[in-house]
Amino acid sequence: MSEVCECLGCNVGANVPDFKLETFEPTKGDFGEISLETLKKNKKWTILFFYPADFTFV
Amino acid sequence: MITVSTDTKFVHLAWQREEKLLKDVKYPMGSDPTGQLARMFGVYDESTGLALRGTFIISPDGKLLNAEVNYYNLGRNIDELLRKLKANIHLTKKPNEACPAKWQDKDDKTLKPSAKLVGRVYEALK
Repeated sequence: MSEVCECLGCNVGANVPDFKLETFEPTKGDFGEISLETLKKNKKWTILFFYPADFTFV
Repeated sequence: MITVSTDTKFVHLAWQREEKLLKDVKYPMGSDPTGQLARMFGVYDESTGLALRGTFIISPDGKLLNAEVNYYNLGRNIDELLRKLKANIHLTKKPNEACPAKWQDKDDKTLKPSAKLVGRVYEALK
């Protein structure tokens, strides 16, 4: 029996727990904050696009 | 669309101002310096402190509908990402349909799973 993966990424169909992130918002040239709660309130589709680091290449 | 890395918001600002390829960026650049969010989605690499190239589509009611993870050295195909987003939006409106592999846009054929369709997908897509 293989190990059960507990990460959410493997759990498509599950509800995502609320999260909050500090942001830089290029359109405003200013810092901001974003939370899943706000996105849900505004009925937004969300794509989270993770990448290793700023100033890298791909 | 929210991009996320373990860099701080200050580094995001500096990168967006410095790199000419990013001058038209409109999306918020999220900062996850502790890797908490990356861990939640299973894309945090403990050995480097960096996030792998993970892409996750979340519906307006907060459900995770797609997950894709690439290793560091492989970029993502934005056309495929948009196809999946469009398909998810379509399927939310029409929950009894399914979008086949070659579905691109709302004018393309979808499938309605039923007893009649079993073993007859070829004919249905013709």
